[in-house]
Amino acid sequence: MTVSVNDIRADLMRAHEQAWSALSQPGTWWSGAQRRELATTALMAVREAEPLPPWVGVSSVDGKISRSPVASHTAHDTVYRIARHAATLTSDWYERVIQEIDPLAFVELCGIVCTVATVVAFRTALDLQVPELAPAKIGEPSRKKPQNVVSATLNWVPVIAPADIDAAVVQAFTAVPETNRLIWAMADAQYIPDKEMVDPNWTRGTLSRVQMELIATRVSQQRECFY
Amino acid sequence: MLSWSGNEQGIEIDLLTVQAATGGVAVDFAHELVEFATAATEFDQTAMTKSREALIACAGLAVTIDAAAVIANFEMMTRLADSTGARMQTEVVADRLFIATAMGVDQVVSRR
Repeated sequence: MTVSVNDIRADLMRAHEQAWSALSQPGTWWSGAQRRELATTALMAVREAEPLPPWVGVSSVDGKISRSPVASHTAHDTVYRIARHAATLTSDWYERVIQEIDPLAFVELCGIVCTVATVVAFRTALDLQVPELAPAKIGEPSRKKPQNVVSATLNWVPVIAPADIDAAVVQAFTAVPETNRLIWAMADAQYIPDKEMVDPNWTRGTLSRVQMELIATRVSQQRECFY
Repeated sequence: MLSWSGNEQGIEIDLLTVQAATGGVAVDFAHELVEFATAATEFDQTAMTKSREALIACAGLAVTIDAAAVIANFEMMTRLADSTGARMQTEVVADRLFIATAMGVDQVVSRR
């Protein structure tokens, strides 16, 4: 039996389409061309049968990225590493990256990787074609920095104040509100709506909560994610 | 979350069976769900096709699609957590250490 896109819930399709189309549009800290180019590198990273090892930067290998990229080599190397080797990341690595990439631009870059990883995983699991990225939309990033960005104890990245009240994953992207909105719209549709998280019996009528957690636990364990 | 939701529903969860990819105890379609999640995360197209078809056969199309959505969500959340240096409060880590140990993730690089 094959799965068709027509079988997918409308709310889930909408959340994916919204985040996917945003990959080619100007963001908060990256232009549409940069976002699309970085998304292309993330796509390569999650699909490669024989990935580069974590210590090799994708920009150092001939033919992997454009000879004249619109985003920096560091940005491409960072995207590839997060997309394929996220469990190997350390605070020292983060400190080196933010010498060259502003911390808020780094947050948006993480959001690009998360979007690519989740849409590709969903489509691949169901043997559905991954959609093409739209042509890059011309325009500058908004560079809108929220006023109340602060350091956090529970994350490397800065967050919106007050820090460390919510769980680390919940506050992680808050300093780039548009990235935060797109990612959590997908999480609500893919997993459990935020307001239902406290209910151990919540279900959409398909998977029970414990079945969802069983899958979540297995994926997290496979990805060696301590969190 | 798995232990908590299982306890709340009166279902005994053996985390070692999840780690070994043999499925949890007393959870409907546990084996098929874990097989599907494992194949999806191992880039094994043959295993993915086989496990997807097995899950559709026993649980139906809607369950399989929602299972793929949960897999996708945690491909996203693991990267979100690891790239932003997300960690739990020290006391929470201490409370949950036995779970991390049972799952074999107490020694991974991403522990913080």
